[in-house]
Amino acid sequence: MQSKRTLFLIEVAIFSALALILDLIPFLSFKVWAQGGSISFAMIPIFIISYRWGLKGGLLSGLLFGVLQVISGTAWIAHPVQGLLDYPVAFTVLGFAGLFKTQAAHALKVGARSTFVKWVIIGVTLGSTLRFFSHYLAGVVFFDSLIDGMNIWLYSFVYNASYIIPSAIINIIAVAFLFSKRPALVKQPLNHAA
Amino acid sequence: MNRLIIGRYFPGNSLIHQLDPRFKLIFVLYFIGLLFFLDHFFLQVIFFILTLVIMMMTRVSLSIYIRGVRPLIWLILFATVLRIITTRGGVVYFDVGFLTVSHFGLLSGLYTFLRFIEMIFISTVLTLTTKPIDLTDAIYFLLKPLRYLYVPVEELSLMLSIALRFIPNLLDETEKVMNAQRARGMVFGEGNLLEQMRALTPLVLPLFAHSLKRAEDMADVLEVKGYKSGEKRTHYRALIWGFKDTLGVVLMLVLMLVVISFNI
Repeated sequence: MQSKRTLFLIEVAIFSALALILDLIPFLSFKVWAQGGSISFAMIPIFIISYRWGLKGGLLSGLLFGVLQVISGTAWIAHPVQGLLDYPVAFTVLGFAGLFKTQAAHALKVGARSTFVKWVIIGVTLGSTLRFFSHYLAGVVFFDSLIDGMNIWLYSFVYNASYIIPSAIINIIAVAFLFSKRPALVKQPLNHAA
Repeated sequence: MNRLIIGRYFPGNSLIHQLDPRFKLIFVLYFIGLLFFLDHFFLQVIFFILTLVIMMMTRVSLSIYIRGVRPLIWLILFATVLRIITTRGGVVYFDVGFLTVSHFGLLSGLYTFLRFIEMIFISTVLTLTTKPIDLTDAIYFLLKPLRYLYVPVEELSLMLSIALRFIPNLLDETEKVMNAQRARGMVFGEGNLLEQMRALTPLVLPLFAHSLKRAEDMADVLEVKGYKSGEKRTHYRALIWGFKDTLGVVLMLVLMLVVISFNI
């Protein structure tokens, strides 16, 4: 019987790797902009961890996914602060979906399928919104280093919204569908000593 | 699927390949930092040449570097043009309405362009010549002091290594599941967004379920072999700091002195 902590570390690690893979499989991601802005299902593994292990797991797997993109060389970094906000920070905040783990787990336990889906949608929406703000800020930092006086706030808003909003909607649908189809994905194994 | 290469490591035996990953990581961060302080034409020239020399030392063909810039080129050009038309001063070469191209504008556009290119090139040098796993060890080393702030640096680096280690396995797994589903008549990569999303379920559900099982097995194995989170660990791969790395640090100091002398 293994301790929960070791299992936690490994699950988070493996699902972060899965996120990177989902991001890279060609037909599962759709490039909106040549520089990075893509719609992919990479967020799904992060949300699975968020609902399995709660806030801590979600934040950790998001962070790992962001760092993995940087060290594997798939990240686009043009400014140090932008790099930080666009990768480690943007994906870490996805983990805030894990705040609703208890509610979702409870709904699942009592068999309230629609309540469960509701908590999943709320969490995924929160995570995606925070991610949007991180990319948004990154864009502002990036353009702020170049120009003064132009409407960078609006520009960054439009640019990032153009791919994050569709991405968020698709992920909300995909996550809600996957979770309601296979709730076991978010159930923690019970037979482990803490 | 085989075309899909994760990471951009380019095997080789050049001097840059041989350097300690810790040194390379620190150098790249430091170099990028310095790029923000190059306010003199002469400094720009020095750093541009230095970047090219470092790139040549990796013995990786230039086209690979250029490929790294290509996806970003429009963004860079856009930024450069913005820089040119929003900076005023010096001789005015061109002036129609709000469009003004001045001497300072052109200069600052050139600096912006060079800074982007150099930043991308130098970080490409790092990812081309350093295995992701070595980079993980280097990050671990740099973050080590955070242990005193109760940041679980050991565990973070273990997780990163596991994630990197599993990427090839998970890719194989993905391919297997895809083939199995293809044999059942599933079509991947065709149709509109909705159809592609429908193709997602039979692919990711087995993948996720299998990964969970695998994680559990691996946790068992780790514990059987005596792993306990929070305990002090030893490392299989030890990084070796060589004389070349110390020389590199000297180069860093010289660069700093040059930049300071031009900024006084």
